[in-house]
Amino acid sequence: MVDPAAIIRTMLSEETAVTVAIAVLFIGAVAGYLVWRTTRNLLVQLDVPGAVEGTAFERTIQNFGLSTVGLFSQMAALFVYVLAVFIALQVAQIMNADLFWQRFPQYLPQLFIAAVVVIVGLVIGDKVSLAISERLKSVKLPEVTLLPKLAKYSIFYVAALIALGQLGVATMALIVLLAAYAFGLLFLSALAFKDLLTAAAAGTYLLLTEPYSIGDEVEIDDRRGVVQEIDVFVTHVESDEAEFIIPNQRVVRSGITRFR
Amino acid sequence: MSHIEDVLDSLASDLDGVVLFSPEADLYEQLTDDHEVVVISAEDERDAERFVELPVEFSELSDRVRFGIEGALAQEFLGENDQVLCLATTYGDSLDTAMRVRAGEFTETGVYDLFVNSRAEPGVIRNVVDVAVELGKKGQKGKPVGALFVVGDAGKVMNKSRPLSYNPFEKSHVHVGDPIVNVMLKEFSRLDGAFVISDGGKIVSAYRYLEPSAEGVDIPKGLGARHMAAGAITRDTNAIAIVLSESDGLVRAFKRGELILELDPEEY
Repeated sequence: MVDPAAIIRTMLSEETAVTVAIAVLFIGAVAGYLVWRTTRNLLVQLDVPGAVEGTAFERTIQNFGLSTVGLFSQMAALFVYVLAVFIALQVAQIMNADLFWQRFPQYLPQLFIAAVVVIVGLVIGDKVSLAISERLKSVKLPEVTLLPKLAKYSIFYVAALIALGQLGVATMALIVLLAAYAFGLLFLSALAFKDLLTAAAAGTYLLLTEPYSIGDEVEIDDRRGVVQEIDVFVTHVESDEAEFIIPNQRVVRSGITRFR
Repeated sequence: MSHIEDVLDSLASDLDGVVLFSPEADLYEQLTDDHEVVVISAEDERDAERFVELPVEFSELSDRVRFGIEGALAQEFLGENDQVLCLATTYGDSLDTAMRVRAGEFTETGVYDLFVNSRAEPGVIRNVVDVAVELGKKGQKGKPVGALFVVGDAGKVMNKSRPLSYNPFEKSHVHVGDPIVNVMLKEFSRLDGAFVISDGGKIVSAYRYLEPSAEGVDIPKGLGARHMAAGAITRDTNAIAIVLSESDGLVRAFKRGELILELDPEEY
C-alpha cells in the first residue's frame, strides 16, 4: 500500500508539510462537524429518538446528560477528528513511524464498528424485551418474565460476538456455544409445538375446504354433536350435555361422519 | 359559600365506595388511599384493582352509571346497599359531575350480563353493536335500513333457521371487526333475513330465515316481525340478537327473549 503521507512528504519541504498538516487538521474539524450534523439529522429523521425511548441504555446514558442519537453522532465526528489528527501528524512527521501507531488508523474503523454494534445491540435487546413483555402483559404468570430476559441476553450475546469479531478476538468457542444454544432452542421448540403445528396444518385444510361447517351435525371420535366453531387449532362440537373441543389433527386422523 | 360546601359534604359523607368514570392518574392515586375505588372506563389505563370495562361509549351518563354499577355489583366490588359516589365527565374532558347513588337502586336491566356473560365473546358483541350503530347512522345509500344479527350459539341457530337464498358467506372467513366487514354488511343488509355470527365472531351466514317458536316471547308491543324473530330466537337458543330497526332507527339487543338494551345510533 502506498502511503499518501509519505508521497506528500517527498514532494514537499518540511515547512509546507507543516502547513499541509494544519490544513488537514482544519478540513478534519469541518468534516467532523458536518458528519456530526448529518448523522444527527439522519437519525432524527429516521425517528431513532422515538424508537430508543424508554430503553435501559437510553436511560443510563441520560444520567450522564447524553442521548443515544447524540452519542452516535459524536462518535462519528470523533472518528473523523481522530483520523484527521493522525493524517496530519504523519504528514508533519512529528510522530516517528512506530509500528503500532502506523497500524492504528487502519484499526480505527473496526473499533468504531465494534462500538456501534455494541450500542445497537444494547438498544435492540432492550427494545425486544420491552416488546415481548408488552405482548405477554395479559398473561399474569411470574415465570413469563423469563422470556423477555432470555431474548434480551441472546441479542446481547450476538452483539458481543460481532463486536469481538470486529476487534479480531478469537470467538470460535463462543460461536460454537451460540450454535449449540440455537440448535437446542430450535429442537426444544419444535418438540414443544409439535401438536400445535400438526393441529394448525390440519386446521388450515379444514378451513380451506370446509368439509363440515357451523351448524352441521357430525360425529368425530365417537363424539356426536353440532359444530359450533372451527378455528385453526380446534373444532368445537356441542351435544346436549357437553361441548367437545377437538384438536384438528384428530378430526383429520379419525375422519368425520356427517348426519343429514 | 358555606352552604355549597355543606351540600358537597353531604354527598361525600358516609361513603362505602367511589366509582370513577374518568380515571385521571393523580385523582385515582389520591382516592385509593382512603376509599374503595372502582374504575369504569373503556380501557384499564391505571391497572386498577377493581375495574369494569365499558363496551360501548354510552353517551348518556345515566346509561354509563347503570352499566358501571351493574358491572361492579356482578363482580362483587359493591354490595346492594352500598352508598357510592360516582365521579364522571358529562361535558368536556375533565371531571365535572358528582352523583350519589345506592348501588341496588336500579332494577337490574342485564346490560352488563348481556355483554359479559353471553356465549359469544364480549369483544364480538361489542363489534356487532358497533356495526349496527354504524349502519343505523349512515343507512344504505342514505335510506334507513333494518338488520338483524344473531350472535353466538351459531350451530343451534343454524339448525333453527333455513336459508332464503345462497349464503354469500359460505367458505369465507370474515369476522366481525375486520375492516372490510362494515362495507360487506352494509351491502348485504338490503337482503332480507338474519346474519348469523358464531361465538368467536365468524360470520357464518346471511340471508337466514329464523324459525324459532315464538311462544312466550314478551317484547314491547309495536315492534315488528324482525324484533319478534330476534326475541324468539334468543329464547329458544343461547344466542343474543342485535336488531337495527328500519322504522325508528334504534339499535336493540335481546337476550333470553327479553329486550335488554336500546341505543340511538344518532347519539354516538
